[in-house]
Amino acid sequence: MPLITSNDQRVATSDLLPPELLARLERMELVSRKIFRGRLKGERRSRRKGQSVEFMDYRDYVPGDDLRFLDWNLYARLERLFIKLFLEEEELHFYALIDSSASMGFGTPTKLRVSQQIAAALGFIGLCHADRVKLHTLTGPASVNPPVLRGRASVWRMMEYLEAIEPFGGTSLAESVRRFCLRNTGKGIVILLSDLLDKSGYEAALRMLLAQQYDIYVIHIFCREELQPELAGDLKLVDSEDQDVAEVTISHPLLQRYRRTVAKFIQEAKEFCTRRGIAYLMTDNQQAVERLVSQYLRERGLVR
Amino acid sequence: MSFLNTLVWWQWLVVVGVPIAIILLYFLKLRRLPVEVPSTYLWSRTLEDLHVNSLWQRLRQSLLLFLQILFACLLIVALLRPGWKGSRLEGERFIIVLDTSASMQATDIRPSRLEDAKRQAIEFVDSLSPGQTAMLITTSDQSRVEQPYTDNRALLRSRIRAVEATYRTSDLEEALRYASGLANPGRSATDPTDVPAPEPMPATMLIFSDGGYERVPSIFLGNLTPKYIPMGQPQPDNVAIVAFAAERGIDDPLQIELYGRLENFSDVDVQANAVLYVNGKLQDAKRLQIEAGGVRGVEFSLRQVEAGYVELRWERDDDLLLDNRAFAAINPPRRARVLLVTAGNEPLELALTTSQAQLVAELRIEDPQFLKSDQYRRAAAASQWDLIIYDRCAPDEAPAANTVWFGSLPPDPRWKANPLDRPPQIIDLDRAHPVMQLVEVTDLLIVEGHGLEIPPGGRALLDGDSGPLCVIAPREAYEDLVIGFSLFRTEDNRTVPNTNWPIRRSFPIFCMNMLRYLGTGSSAMALPSVRPGQPITLHSAVPVDALYVTAPDGRVWTVGREATGRFVFAQTELPGIYEVRESKGGPVVQRFPVNLFDRRESNIRPEPQLQFAHTTVAAEPTRTPVRRELWRWIVAVALGVLAFEWYIYNRRVYL
Repeated sequence: MPLITSNDQRVATSDLLPPELLARLERMELVSRKIFRGRLKGERRSRRKGQSVEFMDYRDYVPGDDLRFLDWNLYARLERLFIKLFLEEEELHFYALIDSSASMGFGTPTKLRVSQQIAAALGFIGLCHADRVKLHTLTGPASVNPPVLRGRASVWRMMEYLEAIEPFGGTSLAESVRRFCLRNTGKGIVILLSDLLDKSGYEAALRMLLAQQYDIYVIHIFCREELQPELAGDLKLVDSEDQDVAEVTISHPLLQRYRRTVAKFIQEAKEFCTRRGIAYLMTDNQQAVERLVSQYLRERGLVR
Repeated sequence: MSFLNTLVWWQWLVVVGVPIAIILLYFLKLRRLPVEVPSTYLWSRTLEDLHVNSLWQRLRQSLLLFLQILFACLLIVALLRPGWKGSRLEGERFIIVLDTSASMQATDIRPSRLEDAKRQAIEFVDSLSPGQTAMLITTSDQSRVEQPYTDNRALLRSRIRAVEATYRTSDLEEALRYASGLANPGRSATDPTDVPAPEPMPATMLIFSDGGYERVPSIFLGNLTPKYIPMGQPQPDNVAIVAFAAERGIDDPLQIELYGRLENFSDVDVQANAVLYVNGKLQDAKRLQIEAGGVRGVEFSLRQVEAGYVELRWERDDDLLLDNRAFAAINPPRRARVLLVTAGNEPLELALTTSQAQLVAELRIEDPQFLKSDQYRRAAAASQWDLIIYDRCAPDEAPAANTVWFGSLPPDPRWKANPLDRPPQIIDLDRAHPVMQLVEVTDLLIVEGHGLEIPPGGRALLDGDSGPLCVIAPREAYEDLVIGFSLFRTEDNRTVPNTNWPIRRSFPIFCMNMLRYLGTGSSAMALPSVRPGQPITLHSAVPVDALYVTAPDGRVWTVGREATGRFVFAQTELPGIYEVRESKGGPVVQRFPVNLFDRRESNIRPEPQLQFAHTTVAAEPTRTPVRRELWRWIVAVALGVLAFEWYIYNRRVYL
């Protein structure tokens, strides 16, 4: 099988995934810290004992067990009934939740663009390994009916879908995640690409995902303008999502205080995630996606 | 600490409105620039933190506003003119006396003593409280009330600033009399129509001066409290030319001898060049060393200078420059015009027409009948003659000329003769007078003569047993020499000698002295140097109505002829050479110098005390109590605040 298919060729022209990155991504693999059962048999071993050829363990027979898995040889020797357990292979569900609210449209490149690139890279890895990839925007028209992708052939569809995402409206993270959870009951890896700037808080959304026992990754994206704002004077700051207004007189101490607030916000999010076993990664829009995926996500065990 | 109110109530309302307006404008005009940000979430959280200690935060946010209000408040405080006084000024009336004499131009205090005195006087005026009044008198050799009593400080200040230095000498008496008269008003008790005098008003007189007064004014101070504020450093440095004169040589009229006298008023020996300029060109120089407090004479001799002026310069910069230059005029030699009115007097005619006498005088001899003619009257009134000699005759009125009288009296009631004495004995003679120099009278015999009474200002040259036989006395600008005996007398219708003087050697000498002193002495060589501000009497050989005098600064003054035929010129303010012309643009007919030549003015060491009659006024050890104004500092701080506000506004550097 050629490394890049004709469908991939179209994708290669997109700056979402440059060709050199594609080559590198192809050798990677999505890893879940949990083993989930997909609907189809995939390439991964499952913790669930099933019907693969690989023996895993024994357990006592209880009435109702499939007699086909009884170890008759053992029964002959010990006169006790044991059931043979086999490892089951299954597919991995990979969900990328992309926050496409208006606040993601800031920065150069925009935070949304960074999200798209990360989602594309991870999605590509998943598709290469026959995982079930589903990209989900949290707002906007694209969130209504996201495609379910599987196999390398779906790369271009994934790209098309990603390219179509535009920053739109405000986000209620909790509401969007609730809708996502209702539609997707299966377990798997959920990667949340967001700036977490939700005035009602991001905690509810993450708890909901936790309840679904997803393997959760939060990639917290900031733009440089948010981390080091270059503002001066008497300003009326207008919120891009809800048009909320904050009147400030920029001063050196205020800027210092703002930076402390940002650091505290990041620290809080990180602590919240770590305590609950959620992998957290903060990045800004100046970070190269390739480095992010190949180094930081690898360190956190999402890919290998 | 005290305040002076400088504004009226409605002006205060306007001023107080300014900070209020700033606050209102700040809140009305604060237009925040809208900026779209991804989310105000973090900003809101930041601002929430800020509200915890909001008062200070608000203060910090409104730093510009507070700086502006601080600026306005500082200006308002400055308008209140806060300040403090060295001490409280007692009394209600003050008389500021500013010495404007030449010595106040000394530069031992920069820029000059007078400028410093003016500055101190203005500081004093500033320290006056409402209700206190002051007047300003300037004094040099004459005093002038520049500003009568007023409480208008601005007016006083402008008057003080307008005071200019003069080149005149010092005399405080006039100012003291004026001030004393104001402080101690009197009235003539006898005149019932006299307006009752006002209540005596005690006054404090502040004398900003360096002393150097010629006379000790003996006046009654009474309610007047003098205070003396000395100007100048205690050890000034000054060398002055205190005399400078040009004279033609006795033997050779073409030879001009120049004598100068320099005096060192400082405490150190000095050495410099005394340089002579003739008509503005360097002619000669001498290196002189003058010891501290010492005097040095310097002399030069010139030839072949027909007319013009000479200037002596002491080329060294000291504290008083104006006495480092002295001028003398050299007027062309002119023979004296002498009129002899006699019925016949051969010895006298002979003595006046010797070859030496003809060098200095041209003689005209007329009969006594000539005195009745109009020609004589006109010519005598117009100073046509320098000297008129009346021999046993007298005109109806004294001429405008020097006169000599043999055996007759001038038509002036001041001249009186004692009864005829025969023979009068000569007791003494005044050899010091120029007319009597080298005159020997021991062998002089007189048959008959009159003793004379000396008129006011007169001087006896020959004393006899029945009174002076020869008297010289001034009359206006002239001098009259009266001899109480004649050379001839009439006896039995015959004219016989009255004395053996004509055949003595002393007679032609006396006549020569007479011609030199009364004829040529005053006018032929040079007009005497006058001090700045002193009037000078000029004469013209031709009957013109006006003389034109060009001052050293180039100004041309027209001097009209007075009824007596003299021209009195009083605008001698500047030292230097004044040129006299008989017509506009005509040739210079004579020059006269104006020089300070005053040891008191040149001695610029300030006097430690002033002596008035029985009162000694010591120099004030400290400066006058002046009000220390703070408003300048407050305005400076306000400007600093303004600059800081501007810096913060531009740089956004907050606390």
